[in-house]
Amino acid sequence: MKDKLDFLSELGNIGASYATTALSKMLHDAKLKLTVPQSRLLSFNEAANYIPDPEAVVVCVYMRMVEGFEANIAFILPLNSAVALAEYLTSEKSDHLSELGLSALLEVGNIMLSSYLTALSMLSGAKLTPTVPGIAVDMNGAIWESILADAGITDFVTVLETHFSTDNMELSGNLFFIPDHDLYDFLSQKVSGFLLEENT
Amino acid sequence: MNEVFVNMGQIGVLRNSGVLVTVGLGSCVGVSLYDPSTKVGALAHVFLAKSRENTDRETIPGKYADTAIPALIDMAVKAGANRNRFQAKIAGGAHLFDNFKSDMPPVGQKNVEAVIEQLNKYKIPITGKDVFGKRGRKMSLYVDTGIVVVTTIGQESIQI
Repeated sequence: MKDKLDFLSELGNIGASYATTALSKMLHDAKLKLTVPQSRLLSFNEAANYIPDPEAVVVCVYMRMVEGFEANIAFILPLNSAVALAEYLTSEKSDHLSELGLSALLEVGNIMLSSYLTALSMLSGAKLTPTVPGIAVDMNGAIWESILADAGITDFVTVLETHFSTDNMELSGNLFFIPDHDLYDFLSQKVSGFLLEENT
Repeated sequence: MNEVFVNMGQIGVLRNSGVLVTVGLGSCVGVSLYDPSTKVGALAHVFLAKSRENTDRETIPGKYADTAIPALIDMAVKAGANRNRFQAKIAGGAHLFDNFKSDMPPVGQKNVEAVIEQLNKYKIPITGKDVFGKRGRKMSLYVDTGIVVVTTIGQESIQI
């Protein structure tokens, strides 16, 4: 099991590196710090308790993979980070999120999540078919459980989480990749097949 | 005041005083039962509509509408409630990300329909509801009065 989680962590690391590189470019090469990605297999009750502050307001850009490879991917920012990022992107000073700010965040989230998925797709050879992205400003807990419910999780769920932050501005956030739990085998076969081909 | 948080898939019961709270209902549905005579209140945080064989329906009955409502009734009766006096209130079943076009109804809608079907099956009247929409909710059941307060981000709280 540990090997499986290490393997998924590595995938998450590469995906998140692509995503944050894309963000860094949009921030004129701001340095972004990534934590070591965490890959966890959670029971339902652990998943229910996973989010530390369910009442906190966050901004989330979210896509769901449909067809073949089913999974969820989300970019979640605390409200203050979202406001700072929107202000940077739109040059519009505001203490709340305007329509323009929200659409800028949606676009940034879209680019980051697409970069993450491109990396996973290249590594695995799996075809990933995401829905168009959606954005919500809401309670952390409500967003979290809606994503888990979309995944239709039963007993266990695999969560790949990467935290990033930057010193250039007040900005930190999390990237989550949540595959439907039986997808580990599917992915690992794809990846090991790919690596074998590379080595021969 | 004694506050008891009812997490996803869980069921909480209190008698006489205190408040049962679920924070962050998205597509999930909060279902409360209240018996005004004995002041017994119970609250479930339902995650999905239907349980499946060989999953955690036995260990986490509060997770699915079809197992949560019978379990909620049992727990409230064990705490002293009379099942003929139950009043039910429901909140949640929102659809936060409305970008997904699908032939299937959204999870939140299915959850609400399943909860209502179960309450009808057990002939429990629904005396208050605040469901659907795009907003996450916080739901609190005050056990001394039976009042349920629903809060959404950026809006005034409402009583149902």
